[in-house]
Amino acid sequence: MAVSIEEQELKSRLNLIENMISEGRRSTENWGWMFVFWGVAYYIAIAWATWGHSSLAWPVTMIVASLLAAVLASRKAQRSPATTMGRAIGAVWIGVGISMFVVLMSLAFSGRYEPHTFIAIIGGMLGGANATSSIILKWKMQFGCAVVWWAAAIVGCVGTETQGSIAFLAALFVCQILFGIYGMIGNSHRRSAHPEGAAHA
Amino acid sequence: MPELPELNPVIHGKLRLALLSLLSGVEKAEFTWLRAKTGSTDGNLGAQLLKLEEAGYVAVEKKFVQRKPQTLYRMTDQGREALTGYVRALKQLLGAAIEA
Repeated sequence: MAVSIEEQELKSRLNLIENMISEGRRSTENWGWMFVFWGVAYYIAIAWATWGHSSLAWPVTMIVASLLAAVLASRKAQRSPATTMGRAIGAVWIGVGISMFVVLMSLAFSGRYEPHTFIAIIGGMLGGANATSSIILKWKMQFGCAVVWWAAAIVGCVGTETQGSIAFLAALFVCQILFGIYGMIGNSHRRSAHPEGAAHA
Repeated sequence: MPELPELNPVIHGKLRLALLSLLSGVEKAEFTWLRAKTGSTDGNLGAQLLKLEEAGYVAVEKKFVQRKPQTLYRMTDQGREALTGYVRALKQLLGAAIEA
């Protein structure tokens, strides 16, 4: 049997295996929208807190955004397969999100909140999450986001309040909005290059 | 000359091979996702998945999510071993075909 099988046929089987394995792995990469979503949520909270002068701006926006993100993510997860890598990345972001919420809310309720600390904590934690995620995914561009967040955290610590705020808003725009859109565009390019069902088995 | 290996007939079918390869990269996957990725029909996909299940290469989990039935498939250890063995045999055969 073995000697009668054409070389071409054998190669096509190997290609099929490679293509299908990479198809399965590619399904974990479509999370650009989440970066944009959280970027917009931060801007809404900042705008509400600045012009609305409301102490409820941050907790309300973050709680609503968390609930909305959880619903959207669970709907998306039902359509995509579960992967170990996806779970690892999810664990990093969920852990960091909860940590940020707990620490910042505790500071706010204790009355010890102040802008330098706020920027340093958010910059440091988001820098850590982006770095971890980029190392798992081997995605250099995301490590760039980690560096930008760390830089914002440093400015938050050593700069004036205005400098820290500008650094924070710039990091938010680059690492959430621009990077998220970049991820979404990259994913749509990958989809058009490898349409579903193209492997026609 | 060493004897050439035989290819596992359960995996050798193109759709079954594609399904096992897809499942090897994920923890578990839904029927509709497998259908989209392979471009197969419901009937054919169900039949091929059943063959893989009967061979012990995939395990099935059925549940309801928001009142909708969901069928999830995952590769078993036996399936992973079979796919690894298949790739090894394929490479050996390819080597022999190139040398010939």
